Amino acid sequence: MKEHDFDVVVVGAGVAGSMLAYRLAQTGARVLILEAGSRNPSRAQMVGKYATAFPKTPHSPYVERESDLKAPSPDGPADYYVQPDPATHTQYLSTYERRTGGSTWHWLGHTPRLLRSDFRMRKTYGKGAGFPAGFVDWPISYDDLEPWYCEAEKEMGVAGSDEEWNDLFDSPRSKPFPMSNIWPSYSDNWIAVRINGKLFDHIKYCVKSTPAARNSTTYDGRPACAGNSICVPLCPIGAKYDASVHVAKAKTAGASLREECVVTRLEKDKDGSVHRVNFVTFGGARETVTSEIVVIAAHAIETPKLLLMSGLANSSDTVGRYLMDHLSKSTFGIAPEPLFPFRGPPSTSGIESFRDGEFRKKQAGFRVSLNNDGWSRKGAPYTEIVESVMQKNLIGRELQAAVFKRVTRQIRLSCSVEVAPDPNNRVELSTLTDALGLPRPKITFTPPEYSYRGLLHANKTLGNIFKLIGATEIDLGKPRAYDGAGHIMGTCRMGNNAKSSVVDGHCRSHDHQNLFIVGSAVFPTVGSPNPTLTIAALALRAAHEIKRQLGNSGR
Amino acid sequence: MTNHSMSDSGTIRTRSELLKLLCEAAELEHGIACSYLYSAFSLKRDISEGGMTWEEQQKVRRWAAQLYFIASQEMLHLALVWNMTTAIGGTPYYLRPNFPQGTKYYPLNLPIELEPFGCRSLRRFILYEHPQQQSPSHDLKTLLKFEGDDEEEIAFGSVGELYGLIASGFRNLDEKELFIGSPPQQMTEDLVHFPDLVAVTGRSSALSAIEEITEQGEGRIHHRENSHFETFVGILKELLESGAGGPKFAPARSVMRNPSAGKERGYSANANPIDDPLAGEVAALFDSVYSLMLRMLAWSFEFDAAGAEQQLKSFCSAAIDLMPRVLLPLGEGLTLMPAGKKYPGKTAGAGFGLTRHTNLPPSGNNAYLLCRERFRELATTAERLLAEDLSNPARAGCLHLLEMADGFDVRVAGIGLGKYASAARRRGSHRGK
Repeated sequence: MKEHDFDVVVVGAGVAGSMLAYRLAQTGARVLILEAGSRNPSRAQMVGKYATAFPKTPHSPYVERESDLKAPSPDGPADYYVQPDPATHTQYLSTYERRTGGSTWHWLGHTPRLLRSDFRMRKTYGKGAGFPAGFVDWPISYDDLEPWYCEAEKEMGVAGSDEEWNDLFDSPRSKPFPMSNIWPSYSDNWIAVRINGKLFDHIKYCVKSTPAARNSTTYDGRPACAGNSICVPLCPIGAKYDASVHVAKAKTAGASLREECVVTRLEKDKDGSVHRVNFVTFGGARETVTSEIVVIAAHAIETPKLLLMSGLANSSDTVGRYLMDHLSKSTFGIAPEPLFPFRGPPSTSGIESFRDGEFRKKQAGFRVSLNNDGWSRKGAPYTEIVESVMQKNLIGRELQAAVFKRVTRQIRLSCSVEVAPDPNNRVELSTLTDALGLPRPKITFTPPEYSYRGLLHANKTLGNIFKLIGATEIDLGKPRAYDGAGHIMGTCRMGNNAKSSVVDGHCRSHDHQNLFIVGSAVFPTVGSPNPTLTIAALALRAAHEIKRQLGNSGR
Repeated sequence: MTNHSMSDSGTIRTRSELLKLLCEAAELEHGIACSYLYSAFSLKRDISEGGMTWEEQQKVRRWAAQLYFIASQEMLHLALVWNMTTAIGGTPYYLRPNFPQGTKYYPLNLPIELEPFGCRSLRRFILYEHPQQQSPSHDLKTLLKFEGDDEEEIAFGSVGELYGLIASGFRNLDEKELFIGSPPQQMTEDLVHFPDLVAVTGRSSALSAIEEITEQGEGRIHHRENSHFETFVGILKELLESGAGGPKFAPARSVMRNPSAGKERGYSANANPIDDPLAGEVAALFDSVYSLMLRMLAWSFEFDAAGAEQQLKSFCSAAIDLMPRVLLPLGEGLTLMPAGKKYPGKTAGAGFGLTRHTNLPPSGNNAYLLCRERFRELATTAERLLAEDLSNPARAGCLHLLEMADGFDVRVAGIGLGKYASAARRRGSHRGK
């Protein structure tokens, strides 16, 4: 057998890549992680950057001149992505981070699982006319992934309530959460008392604490959440899991890490296998490494971009297609009494009742989040201060009292709506390039009507909740307006049929048996939960398969 | 390494002995939690206070978070001890001697004091939480012998040792005879917002509760990385490595030790009465709120929940709300107010004085009336103090207290007092589980 430089080269040091690298390095495999972005400045320095940033965006702490040029991270719909004119076309609004640890640096930390039905959308709901054609069933089931969900929860350190989450919509848990749930905020409990058990459109409200990879106690040597309330864009104390944890573990287990190395092309041999990984460093050096197994773990936009640049894995013409997100929407109200937002994480509870049901034959399911960050998305408390000073002429103690009275009563409710897979929503290579001369991602995205119907229904639901709790000044926004959830998914879908999918149930390329793709790119459908736990579970499952495959090849 | 036993005999043979040990555990958990909180109150929050850079401030904030979290777990331990106590026929014990407590009061062979964050206090915390039946490692001994400290021999009893004895009592005594408490009397997460609070209804659940307490404190053998013990060791190492105490990095305010709330309120022989009149009044308000909070919690743990769930919930909810909304800002705010001429350069602190007052009565209605009246009295004090030159956190604490006093009627009246006034009753005399 030809000797390669490494047993496994992993492209991308985010949650999927680092967790997979860690597991394989533990088995003695020679693992190299190539990360396009750079090592972060210290956490404290990034907190400082965020504190002084204006305006504050998810990318604010991570601004770094050379990285932003040579491994740019999107921080809006048009600074890196190439999209059609926003005046006439809908936009793709979610972003990601290219740096060691990946987008988990600025994720919220929520870790609900996909439901059993999410893996079987066509079989469960796809009989009627008008059901979106893009919906398919996964090649694996909830039961196949369940043990890996447990593993992922343990690796990341997930805090959750077993009582609340066992057997949600016929999706049982086989092991308890590693930690008990984060305390629901005061406002969560206050709202729950007022809406639990009440019906909206024949569905019962039931507020549940949201499982999160955010420590409720000291875990894995990291401290418990201290309620700094800025999980997005970063946890100042490391209580929220981010993939730097597994990057460090992978290195300790023997994996090598090279940062500021942007992979430009993978090459296939005559037999169709992919062993050569070409990359360019920030310093301009062009290098190549070879590996028995190659794993792409570069999230759902850089992964198809790299495959398209390499001309690989695309015999089905589905690479880059079926780009998805969750349609997110924030709505606002004023509570009749102080609820004291900002004490604790930005969100600690939600409503899962609308994630599944017969209605999914016609419209998308959704999650509701009860948030703990007041109207900060609308600029509070600064806007309140400006308004009190400029319009009410308040200063000193009077100003303090006025701001206190208003800010403490602000509530934000939000939803995440399932996006149906559509082959026309896609990532392609733009003719525009970044500083290294690599193509920028050209993106086309229009939410399907199936998802818009879910969004409209979610909007009405949030309006009903505000009404039930006696809120005033309710702002539900424009009905079809949406925001990005930061949940970039699809583009290298998983399936049994090589003619209509990119990878098999183990995340292995149909076209190249030693090429694996991990991350949310492989999701064929997305349900409505935050995707990271599923990303981690699939990566751990793929690591297990890669270990088996390496063993078969004599490693 | 242990020179002292937590029990005279070392063997628990009677219910009375076990109850006595549980009261000792309650005192210790309670006192240690106050000590941790005092240390957290003393940490600087803002760079403008001086003595730290931006990066150091992030570290200090994390230390504060870790201390507050550990203190909250000590409160959970106290609640678990109360459940154990009521399960075998006792009543929740919330008294404790005022600070400072000398080395001989408990067989810890360590004082329990209120002192600002620093190497000295951390050393004490490490020893409280040290794994039982284990000698300090060479590394730990080296770590604890820092410059300026005395060279006294490290000889101490740990809290874990006490729980070992309590567990032996639960194992040795006849289960059917022992557990005479009423199961509905047990407080759980449904009634009081203490995550992980479990009901104690028999030997197995009692031992589980003890295991939870010791695991959080000491950790398990070979798995101590998430324990209080290791957390304190980690903080001390960071503190020493960062050159604290040197000319540049000073993470804690210059807070006095073992304060009491004014000249006429010297709680114990060695307390230091706050000399500044205004700070003394704020400290006295802190003590009164703290005492009310404890009385409400203890009342809720004492009575059967059957028929009185709503009142128990509302009392617990109000008591727990008092901690972050009133006690925390008052506690932090005091460390920004001068201690008085007698203590040049020092700031004041919360004495955690257990002020003299009656336990709340069995009648739900009367308990409510006493609490309502007390809330109003304290709100009047807070309103008067708001006219003075308070530190910002102390001001926030007073404002919150006014709001809570206003909202107390609504919070409790909204649940229909008449329904439970007669339902809250003293513990039943059920046998078995």
